[in-house]
Amino acid sequence: MHLHKFEKVWLIFGMGSLALFLVILGFAAFWKGTHPQSHIETIDPENVEAHDSFKPENLGLREVADGKYIVNIVASAFNYDFGMDADGKPVKKIRVPKGSTVLFQITSKDVVHGFQVAGTNVNMMVEPGHVSRLETEMKNVGEFTVVCNEYCGIAHHQMFATVEVYE
Amino acid sequence: MAKSTKQQLEPQHNPSINLKGTLIAVMLLGVFILATWFGCYYLFLSR
Repeated sequence: MHLHKFEKVWLIFGMGSLALFLVILGFAAFWKGTHPQSHIETIDPENVEAHDSFKPENLGLREVADGKYIVNIVASAFNYDFGMDADGKPVKKIRVPKGSTVLFQITSKDVVHGFQVAGTNVNMMVEPGHVSRLETEMKNVGEFTVVCNEYCGIAHHQMFATVEVYE
Repeated sequence: MAKSTKQQLEPQHNPSINLKGTLIAVMLLGVFILATWFGCYYLFLSR
């Protein structure tokens, strides 16, 4: 088969790009451990309190080791439940130091919600009946708004919270 | 008659055809795709 010299050039360019992207995909999946946020771990959405992580007293931010945190959240229309503070008010803002590793664990009681910490890589779907997990290192200082990015009903836009990363 | 139809269907080998503009267009598109892809990947790694 006859191929023009230039055709060979862009075919090699295209195939080279494909090979490069596949290598990066493999690196992300097998070395960096990138995977879907729902791990086919199921939970009864009618009774999320039965799960240890989502008992009312276990909700919110908890330091489990030096620089390691776990945040347990229950999403429902139209609220993120981060637990209660010392005064019995619902927590709407969590604070973690820069460079800390934070594991977000979240589930939904009713419909599909989103959980995005805007400006970071934390972005996952929250499905009723499933537990979504995402661990991340908070590299940058700032106030990041948590938003629901899956339309969940009439007050969808009122579902928000704040994550503050301090020096 | 049948012979002439067959001749018409044969691929035309024309090594003198000028594909320089096509090469430039394809490479510009390729570089654009790579640049935007690596831009997004940089955002992912830096956040």
